[in-house]
Amino acid sequence: MTDTKFILVVEDDPILKNLLGHTFAGRYQTLYAGDGNEALTLFDNNKPSLVLLDLMLPTMDGFAVLEALRARSDEGKTVPVIVVSNLGQESDKKRAMDLGATAYLVKAEVDVDEIIATIEATLKPAQ
Amino acid sequence: MTIRVLLALLIILALAASLLISVVAGDLLASYAGPGGFLAWASAPLSPAIIVSVLTGAIISVIFFLIVNALVVRPLRAICSAMDAFANGAAHVKLPVFKGSPSEIRNFARIWSEFASRVEDSHSRDTEMSRVKSDFISTAAHQLRTPLTGIRWALEALEKEKLTESQAMLIKSAVDKSHDLVGIVGTLLDISSIESGKYKYQFVSDDIESLASEVATDFLPLAQRTGVILTYVPIGGLPKVRIDRERMKWVLNNLIENAIRYTPQGGSVQVSTVAVSGRVMVRVRDTGIGIHDQDRNNIFERFYRAGNAVAKDNQGNGLGLYIARSIVNDHRGDLSFEANAEGPGTTFTLALPSA
Repeated sequence: MTDTKFILVVEDDPILKNLLGHTFAGRYQTLYAGDGNEALTLFDNNKPSLVLLDLMLPTMDGFAVLEALRARSDEGKTVPVIVVSNLGQESDKKRAMDLGATAYLVKAEVDVDEIIATIEATLKPAQ
Repeated sequence: MTIRVLLALLIILALAASLLISVVAGDLLASYAGPGGFLAWASAPLSPAIIVSVLTGAIISVIFFLIVNALVVRPLRAICSAMDAFANGAAHVKLPVFKGSPSEIRNFARIWSEFASRVEDSHSRDTEMSRVKSDFISTAAHQLRTPLTGIRWALEALEKEKLTESQAMLIKSAVDKSHDLVGIVGTLLDISSIESGKYKYQFVSDDIESLASEVATDFLPLAQRTGVILTYVPIGGLPKVRIDRERMKWVLNNLIENAIRYTPQGGSVQVSTVAVSGRVMVRVRDTGIGIHDQDRNNIFERFYRAGNAVAKDNQGNGLGLYIARSIVNDHRGDLSFEANAEGPGTTFTLALPSA
């Protein structure tokens, strides 16, 4: 575990990834994964203190990543996972929350400041 | 065998029976006219011929009845009850082959089966089409959201840069419009999920009058712009209703907006709420152009726009009333309309069961 606010951003769209990077610059240390498998590998190697997770991803989708993390006995079981996805239906939200997501944001309906606010609120109790 | 043949057989049998009876009757008449007259005949013991003929007649009638019952009446009843059940929404039940029944009956059963399968096929095609359309809307909305997110986030990042006043104003316009677009896409998604029955309602016991006030107030600017007088006076103290406030707001938005848009300048739209026998009604009465007879049966259909809507250059996607009625049905309520008894215009009535 590192002491800095170190977050793993799982996002397959390069432009959205860059926009998040632009906002997070100087605020958090960030790692980026473009698909589910990469996300799990990066998680193992770096043990971030928070995961921002998109749901619609190539190869392994976000639901599967979340399920795989929560099924483990290491940090993956407890790491805060904020879902940031454009799947906005109640059924998707419920499914993600049931799988153990910490928070759920619909991408198009929030601005980046709201994402930061959610990250801050999530990280606070852990510090 | 046809019913005609069956009837002919029956007639032949009946003739044979009457022949027999007439022989016996001749016997009877003879005894009636004989010494002692009627009294003597009536008190005389029954002749074996009479007993035989009566019994024969009875047995033949019973056989008639059983034959007609088994070959005609029962199959017809089976067909009728299958049709009845199908008409009332039950699945199509395959009828048995009516062996030995007249060919008309067998044909009837076969044609009915073919007809029902055809109806079922087209119904399932319709359901499938509706599902595909729903999937399409929801996929399209997701596909729209990703680039929209990029536009929104980029504009918001740009907003935070050092900008001249005019640049800031331009960016703000773009940000506002991107928010509008996000809202529209969200509505499209909601519509597709309501339509496909996947929408999860959040029902709470709520006050319809405060909701109606809120919506009416929201539409005052539009009413003013189009020169329509919009009024709502809550009477207070109505029973609560069990509603999903956001969805019900959507319904009222649609009813009131439609009423304003279809009412010419100088007209009025009156919203009222009353409680009638366990139900709470919201009425939206306009003095508008009314609903043509040819549109009356269709205005709750998907994508239907009244013929006179186009002429008035009203925007709308033809989904409003369709979705409104779906939402109201999901609340176990009713949405109906009628032409005003006096003067022009239409009154829409939304009825909800009180909580």
